[in-house]
Amino acid sequence: MEFLLNNLLSWIIWFPLIGILIILFTDRKHESFIKWISLITIVIDTILSIYLLVNFDFSKTGFQFVEKKRWIEFINSYYFLGVDGISILFIPLSTLTTLLCILISWDSIKELVKEFYLALLFTNIAMVGTFCALDLVIFYLFWEAILIPMYLIIGIWGGPRRIYSTIKFFLYTFFGSVFMLIGIIYLYIKFGTFDYTILINQKYPFLVESLLFLGFAIAFAIKVPMWPVHTWLPDAHTEAPTAGSVILAGILIKLGAYGFIRFALPMFPQAALYFSKLMLVLSVIAIIYAGLVCLVEEDLKRLIAYSSVSHMGFVTLGIFSFNPIAMKGAILQMINHGIVTGALFMCVGIVYDRTHSRAISYYGGLATSMPVYAAFFMIFTLASIGLPGTNGFIGEFLILLGTYLSNKTMVVFGALGVIVGAAYMLWLYQRVFFQELNPNVAKMPPLKINELAALILPTILVFWIGLYPNLFLNFMTTSVQNLLMNLK
Amino acid sequence: MEITLNFSVILTEIIFILISSFIFLIDKFVKNKNYAFYITFITLILACYLILFVPFGEFTYSYKTDFYSSTLKLFLVVGTLLISLISYNYLQYYINLNSGEYYGLMLFSIVGAFLMLSGMDLVTIYLAMELMSFPVYFLIALNYAYNRPSLEGALKYFIVGSLGSVFILIGLGIIYYFTGTFILQKISQNLEKSLYLRELLVGFIFILIGFSIKLSLVPFHMWAPDAYESAPVPITSFIAGIVKFAVIATLVKIILIGFNSLRIEIGEVLIPIILASILVGNIMAIKQDNIIRMLAYSSIAHAGYAGLGLVSADYIGYSFTVFYMLVYLIMAIGTFSILVFLANFKRELLHIPSMASLCEKTPFVSLLLLVFMFSLAGIPPTAGFIAKFYIFMSLIKAKYVWVALIAILFAVIGAYPYLRVLKVVYMDKQEFEFKFKYDFTFLIPVCITVFLIIIIGIYPKPWTDIIYKTMYFYITSLFYPY
Repeated sequence: MEFLLNNLLSWIIWFPLIGILIILFTDRKHESFIKWISLITIVIDTILSIYLLVNFDFSKTGFQFVEKKRWIEFINSYYFLGVDGISILFIPLSTLTTLLCILISWDSIKELVKEFYLALLFTNIAMVGTFCALDLVIFYLFWEAILIPMYLIIGIWGGPRRIYSTIKFFLYTFFGSVFMLIGIIYLYIKFGTFDYTILINQKYPFLVESLLFLGFAIAFAIKVPMWPVHTWLPDAHTEAPTAGSVILAGILIKLGAYGFIRFALPMFPQAALYFSKLMLVLSVIAIIYAGLVCLVEEDLKRLIAYSSVSHMGFVTLGIFSFNPIAMKGAILQMINHGIVTGALFMCVGIVYDRTHSRAISYYGGLATSMPVYAAFFMIFTLASIGLPGTNGFIGEFLILLGTYLSNKTMVVFGALGVIVGAAYMLWLYQRVFFQELNPNVAKMPPLKINELAALILPTILVFWIGLYPNLFLNFMTTSVQNLLMNLK
Repeated sequence: MEITLNFSVILTEIIFILISSFIFLIDKFVKNKNYAFYITFITLILACYLILFVPFGEFTYSYKTDFYSSTLKLFLVVGTLLISLISYNYLQYYINLNSGEYYGLMLFSIVGAFLMLSGMDLVTIYLAMELMSFPVYFLIALNYAYNRPSLEGALKYFIVGSLGSVFILIGLGIIYYFTGTFILQKISQNLEKSLYLRELLVGFIFILIGFSIKLSLVPFHMWAPDAYESAPVPITSFIAGIVKFAVIATLVKIILIGFNSLRIEIGEVLIPIILASILVGNIMAIKQDNIIRMLAYSSIAHAGYAGLGLVSADYIGYSFTVFYMLVYLIMAIGTFSILVFLANFKRELLHIPSMASLCEKTPFVSLLLLVFMFSLAGIPPTAGFIAKFYIFMSLIKAKYVWVALIAILFAVIGAYPYLRVLKVVYMDKQEFEFKFKYDFTFLIPVCITVFLIIIIGIYPKPWTDIIYKTMYFYITSLFYPY
């Protein structure tokens, strides 16, 4: 176990590479073999990431499981990995999300199966790598590398307008990240290093710091997505296949918020404080605007996509109120949102596979034809609203509580968003599951074993975090306090 | 002033010339046309050996092999080896192309590139450039057997190229008038105490125009799409990869040795040309339906990106320019190998919209195409990203942040044409017949280039190091003799 612990992060990141190589040299006729290989790879990877959680030391403030090897000495760039309380929870979340994606697309992906699982495993590598990277070049490499598989996943296996959506998604995020690239290079020219731990201790003139912050913020805000730059998300989410939506909702948009917490805030604290008002206003606009859009959406998937924008508004609200409680709430809410919205997308995917319709009016009375499914959907709906006892409550409550301590006006609007959220989700549930039984959905095949498995896992987490969040909050306590202490 | 005639130094070029002349001589009398390929292949491998083991030294004042030229020649030879492999593959299916002339002209062109890289005075470099270009004109026109308009492309290239030669000659005249010499080192010595810096800069700009025509920088790019389209496909990769690589490496050498004290002004002069190339190349590539025309415009943009390193006007920037061109050479060979494969079995597939559902017919080739396209677009973890990253780094280091910003934003636009190819290949659907078989002469170049693209993308250190080192020895040995 010693060799494993020394390079645990590298193991978790690169382990799917074994699966990729096996699949690459497998004939495409053996589809079930390919599926099983990718499933086994990801299960082992998930176990490894849980092993990482178990070995994490709560009380330390700094980075753990650090690996630092020479990579490009020429530009002083290192293969530098490490996790702290902020990033640790996202690693099991990433592997778990990929696992769910494999389960949910077991039967629904019928063409180009080999490429699909290759893309999924590649996504897993890039996602976990992004959360572990502490060298800015490595971070950027992983950050951009995600675009390749996501471009393919949305574009090949997506819905009718997939090509428009995928190119929009790609160019939008690529556009954002090049500003970050300029910022990264500028930092290197100034300080001669890409090392995150050195860069957070630097002082800049305010103007430079603001420009750098804005450069990073554009990249992260597009990924989150914050209000004016959110337009790629509904298209991409809607047209992506179920697995693509789950990855987008579960991990990809978390990367933006994670980037804010990890890079933009500690590296440019003055600028972050200066722009925090603006960010708070944008977050509140996102919460309310997206919530109102949800009320009029006719498309099941698009509705949940917009609800993502609203929920991520809460996350950025929590981040930019600079309060330890709100910050912890924001990180927890990111994880909650990954679980709940991912699960909701899976739910939509399950009925979409059976009916090939996403229009809300197509459904109705589904609770009579698919009772078990309706129960699961109910759980995730309530979690999404933030009912006490579910994880959504803990996250939103902490964010609102923390924000109240630092900025009272914003909380009023934020809380309004909660009400709107309850309205559109419950109304959605009513229109889809109750009312008269729509003949379209009178005869529906029951849930398959893989779908059931994919739904049970998030259900457990919903209640676990909802009823005993302490375990998850413990991970981040020291790191968040440390982060905010450095900020002030 | 002692002139040395050390023939062992120039052995590689002599052998090349002898063998290509030999091919021309016996071509008429040999029935089996594959012989030319074998001779070329053996010659190129022999050339690898010779480059590695021939001593460094001078042949008169105008020719010198050193670490820089030998390393770059090695890259060129390996590139030409891969191109000769795909040419063999291509000529199996396009038998009306005269194989003897084809390989003979290719060897002649390589001699020109070698002499250019080793040339130490401007006249030698000029003549070598002509020696490199003329066979290429013929090679394009060779495609006449299959494609009547190819004469037009060749003629266009020839006329524009001759215009470039005229510009270079004018530049040579001006420089000779003010310095009294053609030898680069002496020019640099005269430059330091010269009162005519502005006049010399004008002279150099004329030379630069000549080089820009070969590099197809805007506004001297008009020939590129036509010439690329009308050439046989492997020759297109030769023009895009080998010729450009040799030209830009020589340009870097001329600036380094001859015009070192003018390099900042040269960088400033280059900015509009380079930015216009990036802009025009990336935007014009969007609408092209023929993939070769698309790649022609993309090669204009890529030459622009490589030139950004010259704008930065420091030695590391120069080494990144050469590194970028090396990466582009690899990408060009790989991409064009795939195009050769497509052209061999179904020429219509070179039309982008008709490539739809290629991924179902040839998943392997489509996957390779995916790697190359993302590399051309500059997405990590491929070599294309690393190359762009270094270039932007050198630019920002030279305080040209605004140039870097514009270039990087155009890179976003420039990603679209490649995404479009992938979109058609992977996401569009159509029914069509496609019969093919994999030849080794196709698989070897493609696998090598894909491997290199990914390896350089993940671990670029040795590659940048070696290029920087060649240049570093160059600089130190020339200017700091201690």
